[in-house]
Amino acid sequence: MDLLVSPILLYGACALGGLGVALALPRKRVSPFVLGALVGAIALGALFIGLGLKYPNEIPNIHFYVFSFIALGAAMRVITHARPVYAALYFVLTILASCGLYLILSAEFLAFALVIVYAGAILITYLFVIMLATEGPTGDAVGALNEYDRVSREPIIATLAGFVLLGGLTTALAVGSAGLTPNAAKMTGEKPLAVMPKKVEKVLREAKLPDGKPVLLAGEKLAMSSDKVRDTLAAANVIKADQWPSIMPRNHLGEPAYAISSTTGTSEAGAGWLVLTNDKGELRILTRAQWPEDLYLTNTEGVAFDLIDGHPGAIEIAGVILLMAMIGATVLGRKKVDMDDAARAEVAAKLREFSDLGPHLGEQAPFVAPNEASGETDSNTVGVGGMGGTSR
Amino acid sequence: MNHMLMPVLAQGPAPELMSGVTLYHYLAVSGAMFVIGLIGFMTRRNLIIMFLCTELMFQAAGIALIAFGRFHLNHSGETFVIFVLTVAAAEAALALGLVILLFRRKETLDGTRWTELRG
Repeated sequence: MDLLVSPILLYGACALGGLGVALALPRKRVSPFVLGALVGAIALGALFIGLGLKYPNEIPNIHFYVFSFIALGAAMRVITHARPVYAALYFVLTILASCGLYLILSAEFLAFALVIVYAGAILITYLFVIMLATEGPTGDAVGALNEYDRVSREPIIATLAGFVLLGGLTTALAVGSAGLTPNAAKMTGEKPLAVMPKKVEKVLREAKLPDGKPVLLAGEKLAMSSDKVRDTLAAANVIKADQWPSIMPRNHLGEPAYAISSTTGTSEAGAGWLVLTNDKGELRILTRAQWPEDLYLTNTEGVAFDLIDGHPGAIEIAGVILLMAMIGATVLGRKKVDMDDAARAEVAAKLREFSDLGPHLGEQAPFVAPNEASGETDSNTVGVGGMGGTSR
Repeated sequence: MNHMLMPVLAQGPAPELMSGVTLYHYLAVSGAMFVIGLIGFMTRRNLIIMFLCTELMFQAAGIALIAFGRFHLNHSGETFVIFVLTVAAAEAALALGLVILLFRRKETLDGTRWTELRG
């Protein structure tokens, strides 16, 4: 089995990348992030250059390299940045870069959905929680951060495990994808056009031939399927008579609905046909080569068709998952929790340390003064004052 | 050759087929991103960052799905990314609710403080 790249290059790139990530992870003493990032970038670049040199005719779009470098660099920064807020913002950058990859892969509906849902909604939730649940660092110095953010757990072993996995994964993928051919039976092509008569008619009505004449002549519309349509198509050698009506699109009753068809897979010229009729009942066939340029399935329509037509049950399950998550989050958020003993002792110690800062801190506290002026001495006030180190 | 330089958006006729080698480029990026997320999950101790790393792994899976969908020229990959998105949103809601709960109990986000279940 021949590998896509020589395994030495593949394993070398994995080892180098692992070294880079291991260097860049935060640890007790100075962590050489810049060096780690450089080593990681060299590893990735070496892999891509090796692939490009070996298969100069099959390199992807140039934008691919830009976006993948941004995506992986930002992903590395997510796991190496000591400050959680910055990590979340770098994750947004990863999302935006992978949206660029989606665009190159002709999935623009999802690219924009991802920006809205991921970068716009999910990540904002993360930022909220980070700001809600973190004792903010007091200074700019890294030393002011929490210990659990500054020091990572077992960076060497984890990186080793991760990149051994990556080595195996990329080798398997290289072998697998080299022998892969697109599955023609599963290609969407223009099949869904056959059940979208409104769209087809709209496009035909607006389309113009190169010489400026309308594609649709006066009074013409899509022909409903009938014996006459079948005979016309058979006479023009487009179909054989016994293929009818098995290749026709159906309406919800299972009857052949109207005359348009396009074969599966990529759109070869002449693979599809459209039958038009006019007021007098005269039929006209538009073969694939004569279709207007605007008559194609857009990405959004394709995704919608696949989602609604192909996976209706999965949508229901997704709805249930979202409902459960909503209920679960509400239940979790409403629960009253007591601090456990260790944490309570810790907070008490922190407060004590605060009150040891000196009696003058309490004297300056503005909330003590009005109570003293009104002569009230309820126990609550004393408690609060005591926290701030009251001088009473 | 032209399609290698200019991004071909699908708001146009069906895109050309791509080769297995091109597919492999995307799968390599996806794998690297997944492993970075995995390493982050294992090494970082902040609970929120750990969940962020799971999102990174979801994202890597999404790139692989879209690349395969583009390779076979159908939309099932994109459909499954929609479901990945759903699961990620649900996971974020639950996980962050849980993080808040844990934070209120121990006043810290350190994952290593929650190791009572360890054998």
